Amino acid sequence: MAEPVIEAENLGIRFAVNRRRKRSLREMFIHGTKRDPNPTGKDFWPLRNVSFSVSQGECVGIVGKNGTGKSTLLKMIAGVLIPDEGTVTVRGKVAPLLELRAGFNDQLTGRENVHLVGSLHGMTPEMIEEKFEEIIDFANLRDGYIDMPVRHYSSGMKVRLGFALISQLQHPVMLVDEVLAVGDKAFRKKCYEAIGRMLESNRTMVLVSHNEGDLKRFCDRGLYIKDGSLALDADIETSLQAYNDDTKAEAEAAKKKAAAKKKAAEEKKAAERQKAEQEKPADGGAGKDGAGDKGEEDGGKAA
Amino acid sequence: MASRALSVWQNRQVVGLLVKRDLKVKYQKSILGYAWSMLEPLAMAGVYFFVFGLIFNTNRGVPGGDDAPGGYLLFLISGLLPWLWFSTALNEAPKALISQAKLITTMKVPREIFPIAVVTRGFVDYLFAWPVLLLFVFALSGRTHLMGLLVWLPLALLVQYAFTLGVTFLLASVNVLVRDVERVVRILNRVLFYASAIIIPSGMVLDSDSFPGWFKVLYELNPLLGIFKMHHAVWYPADAPGAFVLGTSIGGAIIALAVGYWTFRRLETSVLKEL
Repeated sequence: MAEPVIEAENLGIRFAVNRRRKRSLREMFIHGTKRDPNPTGKDFWPLRNVSFSVSQGECVGIVGKNGTGKSTLLKMIAGVLIPDEGTVTVRGKVAPLLELRAGFNDQLTGRENVHLVGSLHGMTPEMIEEKFEEIIDFANLRDGYIDMPVRHYSSGMKVRLGFALISQLQHPVMLVDEVLAVGDKAFRKKCYEAIGRMLESNRTMVLVSHNEGDLKRFCDRGLYIKDGSLALDADIETSLQAYNDDTKAEAEAAKKKAAAKKKAAEEKKAAERQKAEQEKPADGGAGKDGAGDKGEEDGGKAA
Repeated sequence: MASRALSVWQNRQVVGLLVKRDLKVKYQKSILGYAWSMLEPLAMAGVYFFVFGLIFNTNRGVPGGDDAPGGYLLFLISGLLPWLWFSTALNEAPKALISQAKLITTMKVPREIFPIAVVTRGFVDYLFAWPVLLLFVFALSGRTHLMGLLVWLPLALLVQYAFTLGVTFLLASVNVLVRDVERVVRILNRVLFYASAIIIPSGMVLDSDSFPGWFKVLYELNPLLGIFKMHHAVWYPADAPGAFVLGTSIGGAIIALAVGYWTFRRLETSVLKEL
């Protein structure tokens, strides 16, 4: 078997939690980003110690809760974030379906944008010209819209055009981040077909999604990311199972916690009620002494 | 480092695309379109000619004497055009990365591309304005010479490109982390305009008795002074910079490029996280 297409070794990235007050400009210039003057400071590692490799033709799904670093991982593979620890090697060009509207300039027409973004991603003008009809067809734009500035497009149209364009890229590695969630049913079906075709042509894909159906449909392997590290690297069914189990366990824990909280609150309330009842006669007594207003005020303050 | 330079070179086409896109966007919604590239310097020249040429009578300071071919008006124009290149780059430098955040966070290209595109676009705009310059040269019967065309002009463009790029690298990356840069730039723009002998011949400062010696040295240490003296020297041989001014210009450009690029690379990781 050939070398793996994507190879991540001990990958880690750090975000500074309270960056505004963290380091002065002077320190930043002297130490750069590598040597942190206070390594014990409040740093947050969205991802750490992640190692895996993906070989050609594989489709890997990444699952995990929100905010566990799935998208960050994808961005590091795409090369748009630089890891603070470890390395990630990608052999071959990457077609990033990270955010589909990206790169479209609102002032330019759809046609100009297709040419611009297509060439930015490494397509030759001839290639774009050749695929142009196909792209428009796939995006299913209304007549005449392609020659209108993109700012007049609906968000769905922008995304459709973006996907239509990026899916024409012939790059061997594809990174897909949650983009299948957009678009109506008909368009989603088209996307599925397009992705299926890409996988058939032995291209490598990494997919982030919360949709179990999507994941099971395309992926043969799953990476389960939990609390910023790789918890499980197995087939997709097992990973999803582990994720679901954890979610369930967490939900139960949360329920228990909520129940406990509720119970505590009720107890507290009951105690307060009891206390209030005990205090009431005293207040009444003060009122009888002819200093009612004042007494009530004091009572209010005490409560 | 060498591999970075190589990958920037491989992506030079992207620079072209970004420049083309920006120009297209810039001219798209205006009726006069390309004509603005020439009208803007013309209007500026008109204002400065009125104030400095007619009211303050700066004519006397033009290098080569009062009756140098071209007069003060050509001196103005030949300084203003390259200045517009530098000043637009300076103004846009802080936003060079921020405004392209979406492209940067989804596309893997060397990030150096974006500052390079800003400087290159300014340069293209400058080239677009050359017809205006030539018009004035012919109308005012300005005269050039071999030394000016073959040495001063290419050297001025090269040094200015390097210096502007260095400054843009620095400002673009720092501004992502510390947004104060945008404010500083506005002041800087104003100060450098008057400090760089663009509309006021350098002789009026250097040959005057009202400035102390240290101030004159400081004035000469500004790398832009030499750059604009070279631009003027194309039409006014008498304005050719001396060894010291030339040295500060070339040295300043090299230092700016080195410091700017070093900072850019140093901050790249943090910048990407911040975008």
